[in-house]
Amino acid sequence: MNFAKIITRIGIAVTLAASGISHAYLYIHGYQHIPTIGTAFLVQASVSLALAALILVGGPAWLQWAAAMLAGGSLVAFGLSRTVGLFGFSEHGWQPSPHAVLSLVAELLTVGLCAVYLVEGRRVRSSPQIAMSELSTGNASVG
Amino acid sequence: MTDAPHTMNRRQLIRHSAWFGAAVGLAVVGGEVISHVAGTADAARVQGRPTLRFAQVSDSHIGFTGKANSNVASSFSEAIDRINNLGYTPDFVIHTGDLTHLATPDQFDQVKQLMTGLRTPHVFTVPGEHDSVDDAGQKYRSVFGAGTRGDGWYSFDIAGVHVIALVNTLNLKKLGHLGADQLDFVAKDVAALPSDTPIIVFSHIPLFAMYPDWGWGTDDAAQALSYLRRFSSVTCLNGHVHQVFSKTEGNVTFYSGTTTAYPLPHPGDGPAPKPVTLPAAQLHDALGIREVSYTKGQNALALKERTLQ
Repeated sequence: MNFAKIITRIGIAVTLAASGISHAYLYIHGYQHIPTIGTAFLVQASVSLALAALILVGGPAWLQWAAAMLAGGSLVAFGLSRTVGLFGFSEHGWQPSPHAVLSLVAELLTVGLCAVYLVEGRRVRSSPQIAMSELSTGNASVG
Repeated sequence: MTDAPHTMNRRQLIRHSAWFGAAVGLAVVGGEVISHVAGTADAARVQGRPTLRFAQVSDSHIGFTGKANSNVASSFSEAIDRINNLGYTPDFVIHTGDLTHLATPDQFDQVKQLMTGLRTPHVFTVPGEHDSVDDAGQKYRSVFGAGTRGDGWYSFDIAGVHVIALVNTLNLKKLGHLGADQLDFVAKDVAALPSDTPIIVFSHIPLFAMYPDWGWGTDDAAQALSYLRRFSSVTCLNGHVHQVFSKTEGNVTFYSGTTTAYPLPHPGDGPAPKPVTLPAAQLHDALGIREVSYTKGQNALALKERTLQ
């Protein structure tokens, strides 16, 4: 595995953890009492942190897919809460500050980095020359 | 299947299963840790009958005749039925203002008559701006003002909870306004209370800046809230905006309630908050009541929104 890929993987883990910590903070500081939304924040935080830890230690590619879907789902939920509402819950603008902005930026970065990681992975697999070169340098990953 | 290009061998299957198991395990452990930090573990231990249960109803606008709801009296009666059929008797019911649409004596008579159908020991109200359109709330106070202070504000204690009813619809400019006398009342009212006393504040207009461009905020609320910062649990309930909305600022959680009359647009949807006309089948989904419960040992109140459907 080359250096760029390792950096991308660390980036995914860090941004995912940032989103998870932000959601956990909001859950602890009041959101736990908002029906349905509280549970959703708890699940988002715990799954984000779990995926971040496993991606950091070098899990298989489907963890990146899961991270992208989780971050993407969180972005959709954020959009709904600012427009039509989500389970009767809505907020306005960038409140609660600064967690709304932090989470949004972290999730956008997670989705972007996952896309880079997965596209690059496909490019390597579909190119025999690159694959051979990675094999010869011992950088090919399994799973 | 064995000819498929990406067939997974047994070793790979075991490896992926291990990663999946690790993901699930870590997520569960993480969730437990976060829950524990949040104090939900303690909350689970004190479950049982809540110490205090009450209902919130708001913005009945008795007397409104627009096409957004051609029979607000009927909707309000349904809301009362909803409260009467919660499966328990609420300790009290609060109406967070705009009981009437135009503050006429007939409308006050009608809403008071309807509220006698509530099966609860106490009904508490605050005026909305529609209840004080032409007389700074005099007619409102003549009907609902018994036992109140100043222009209709008051407080009471029940089941270890301190409840404060504020009037922020008189002296309106654009935003709600409490005024010096009422701020002084709040400061003195809570001065002697221990900091672990749960505080519930209810008013008509939000005490937070929900959407100031439409007047959905109170210009001097920050000073009132400054007197409540030392308390570990402060819950502010309001009406006026005809939609469910919640926000947390430090130790204070704000909850806007829905209406029993007609919906208003979401903040910023359109130039002004005019009544929204929904298809008849959807109207009752937008109308509702709120259940609120407090359990001793828990910092925050639990809320359940109930539609009239």
